[in-house]
Amino acid sequence: MTMLTAVADLLGLSSNTLLVAVAMAAVGMAAGVVGCFSVLRRRALIGDAAAHATLPGVALAFVITGSRGLPVLLIGAVVSAVASMGLLVLLRRFTRTRDDAATAIVIGVSFGMGVALISGLVARGVPGSGGLERFLLGSTASLSAADARLLVIVSLLSTGLVAAFVKEATVVSFDPGFAAAAGWPVWWIDFALVAMTAVMVVAGLPAAGAVLVTALVVIPPVAARQWTDRVGVMLVLAGAFGLVSAVAGVAASAVVPGLATGPMVVLAAAALFAVSLVCAPSRGLLAMALRPRMPLAPPERGGP
Amino acid sequence: MSGLRGVIEFLTASGGMHGWAMATAAVVSAAAAVVGSLLVVRRMSLIGDAISHAVLPGIVVGVLLGGRPGGPLATLGAVAAALLTVWLAELLRGKARLSEDAAAGVVFTTLFAAGVALLSAAASRVDVDPGCVLYGMLELVPFDTVELAWLEVPRAFLGGLLVLAGVLAVLWLSWRQQLATAFDADAAAVVGLPAKAMTTGLLCATAVVTVASFEAVGAVIVVAMLVVPAATAELLVATLPRLILVAVGLAVASACSGYAVAWQAETNAAGMIAVMLGVGYAAAVLIAPDGMLARGTASLRLAWRVVCEDVLAEAWRAEEVGAALPASPRGGLAGMLAAWWLTRRGRLLPGGRLSEQGRGQAEMVVRSHRLWETWLGRHVRLPLDHLHPPAEWIEHYLGAEMRQRLEAEMAHTPAGSVAADPHGSTIPPER
Amino acid sequence: MSTPPLLELHDVTVAYHGRPVLWHVDLAVESPCLYGIIGPNGAGKSTLVKAALGIVPLADGWVKFFGEPLDRVRGRVGYVPQRESVDWDFPVRAIDVVLMGTYHRLGWMRRVGRAERELAAACLDRVGMADFATRQIGRLSGGQQQRVFLARALAQQAEIYFLDEPLAGVDAQSQQQIFRVLSELRDEGKLVLIVHHDLRTAASWFDRVALVDMRLVAAGPTEEVLSRENLARTYSGHLEVLDELGRAVEAGRRTP
Repeated sequence: MTMLTAVADLLGLSSNTLLVAVAMAAVGMAAGVVGCFSVLRRRALIGDAAAHATLPGVALAFVITGSRGLPVLLIGAVVSAVASMGLLVLLRRFTRTRDDAATAIVIGVSFGMGVALISGLVARGVPGSGGLERFLLGSTASLSAADARLLVIVSLLSTGLVAAFVKEATVVSFDPGFAAAAGWPVWWIDFALVAMTAVMVVAGLPAAGAVLVTALVVIPPVAARQWTDRVGVMLVLAGAFGLVSAVAGVAASAVVPGLATGPMVVLAAAALFAVSLVCAPSRGLLAMALRPRMPLAPPERGGP
Repeated sequence: MSGLRGVIEFLTASGGMHGWAMATAAVVSAAAAVVGSLLVVRRMSLIGDAISHAVLPGIVVGVLLGGRPGGPLATLGAVAAALLTVWLAELLRGKARLSEDAAAGVVFTTLFAAGVALLSAAASRVDVDPGCVLYGMLELVPFDTVELAWLEVPRAFLGGLLVLAGVLAVLWLSWRQQLATAFDADAAAVVGLPAKAMTTGLLCATAVVTVASFEAVGAVIVVAMLVVPAATAELLVATLPRLILVAVGLAVASACSGYAVAWQAETNAAGMIAVMLGVGYAAAVLIAPDGMLARGTASLRLAWRVVCEDVLAEAWRAEEVGAALPASPRGGLAGMLAAWWLTRRGRLLPGGRLSEQGRGQAEMVVRSHRLWETWLGRHVRLPLDHLHPPAEWIEHYLGAEMRQRLEAEMAHTPAGSVAADPHGSTIPPER
Repeated sequence: MSTPPLLELHDVTVAYHGRPVLWHVDLAVESPCLYGIIGPNGAGKSTLVKAALGIVPLADGWVKFFGEPLDRVRGRVGYVPQRESVDWDFPVRAIDVVLMGTYHRLGWMRRVGRAERELAAACLDRVGMADFATRQIGRLSGGQQQRVFLARALAQQAEIYFLDEPLAGVDAQSQQQIFRVLSELRDEGKLVLIVHHDLRTAASWFDRVALVDMRLVAAGPTEEVLSRENLARTYSGHLEVLDELGRAVEAGRRTP
């Protein structure tokens, strides 16, 4: 802590501001790392469903406990986000509704439910309920040092988990049939990946809000994919991109008053993606334009 | 009657405020449901979701240029943003080889963020509440009116009505093309139908509907109004015209009930409309013709039939070899319950012997069993001791026609006609 | 006591969403050989393999390897799935794919070490793909991809190998190379089961075959099984009965 205070003094910031910035950086990094597998598994928008589904959870946690403390609200958000994932699985299993429509249903209805709950609380003048609205578009203004520490711990844990199980997550995401035959518990690994995405979506709520937080788990991995053909490198880059965009977004919204954090974080990530899209060495638009044709299937040695 | 009077009072109170708000919600919901039906059957729900978010910067630019949030300039901006979304998503899929959902995820979050940032940056010059972006201001809609002959009509209602009429007119004129494209876009393109134009038109319509509903429900909740009615209707009916009709009906019903409930509960109307749509969908999941209730009862009925048939067949086999009936039927409690029920229905006589009616039924079960053993023995070449368990299962699924087909087919094989199964037991004839 | 069969399927029935697609398969393979699983499209050949490997659940029956349930002997069974099951834009290189074959032996959380890298490189070399080790998997031709997948199975160092259509859509050179490696495996005393749809090549390639069409039609030495009568039964068989019955079981009602 003393070192943090020293650094804060050096930068001319309050140590709380610095701690919040560190927390956002950790969240951005972890969201980027965890998001890699949801992008690779082609589940980018499942995270969006989870994100919108956090709102009713936040509101209900507030109603049930009467507390507006971040840990309580985030637990509510995780519960309802994971429940929405379960709901998607059930809809796929027991109804004829196709995946895309089911995802859209969860997004629209759970967001509406969250809005109705929060507006109802605000209209009744329930003390503290006004603070719930910051979960819509993100605001780091009211984060306490304890909240920031919680977010750092969750982020480091998630990153650590992915780092520990890269091998398992890779084989399941690349070739589930082979992984199942080799005895890996494909369903459980998949479930863990989805659940971790839900957790990171929730941890990203203070930074980006329910409507935009999905960008934190989608854009950095997609940008990272442009630069490399290796999962390990992609994870590191996605973490770095997430970290940079979170810090840039938080800084921008701190400098310009009245600007919500979420949109700034997303725009920073989008800028990184745009650079990656154009400049990446082999997949980038520039590289592709300069190289007349990429040999997709090179001739085999001594082949016909 | 007092209920009806209450409703009328509610609708006409304070200059018809509730009536107009409800009517506005109903027309924009109906328009969204029509467009959404096509999105859902074409599996484009997520594109609809993406566009409804991504039109925000277009609306904001339209407003900055002097338009109103629901006006023509905003509409133009929104359509431009929708086309930009689709173009960008295609670019990302083609050039960056992103999957469809990742491309949509990148594009719509970026554009929505740009819209919100633009809105905050120009907060002093634009009169759009950020809350309006997220969940609309249906309660305020009745206060912004235009003079139409003798009536003061809310602007948003008029706009919604125009959009609904426009959507219906375009759908009417291009019905055959829409139907063909919805069924199979590639095949439609091959036979020279303008499939691409149909798709682009659908995406533009999504943008227009989003603008029309913007003031009422905002740019996020509109996805519920686009997708949920159609997805619900899809569970209930099979053809596209009916699907659209049912979707519109559900949309209007949810809009009205959602608004009324929201007013009673003092909460946001758009959110409550989405909740009502969700309730409708959940109900359809339960009560649809092949919904969970129907399937649950069907599997219970099947299980019950299997237990009853097993009890009857057991009695028949005991009769065949002249053995005494077992003290209690197979299948434990369910078997005992079945025996009681069969006695009541006159299939079993008191004491457990078969009645004439029950004997007929039992004989067909045993016939199915032994025919299947014989068929398996010949065509699947299972060892003799593997034949019984499959037949125990399949005996409950063979109908009269199939039994005769199996018998006839086997009569033509070299082994000759069948009178006995592989274990040597007689196969009873068809009754 | 005699040694148990290498592979034994007992009354295996497989259903997708409650609808049986493979009925009552009884099959035992006693000794190492090249074993072809042959039948028309949609006959359930791949389903049979997936059921044996526990990828799709059994509706009925059981499967044993070396007389034991699969979970006890996973490490002794290798698998090459159909190529279509994979996302070709995934960020892995040929060598990374082969390394996946060593993951099972490594177990949870343990990292790939030098021994695994050397093994993977050797396996890649054995299928003639050493020069392409660092190429992203999607930038290889179909035959090369199939050889990489075969190398991954080799890295599993198994005793029984299942290959699902390894020769479909593969160029002639890759076919030769794959077939050579598979024959070598057989000569080393391994059992190699191959799902295959081409009758013309089946007769010359396989030591034993099983003819499958929603049920097992016949199984045994190739020349005995590929008789005119068996082929007629496989390719113009009694599908309608099983088809109709399958639909009835799925719907939970009787056939007409």
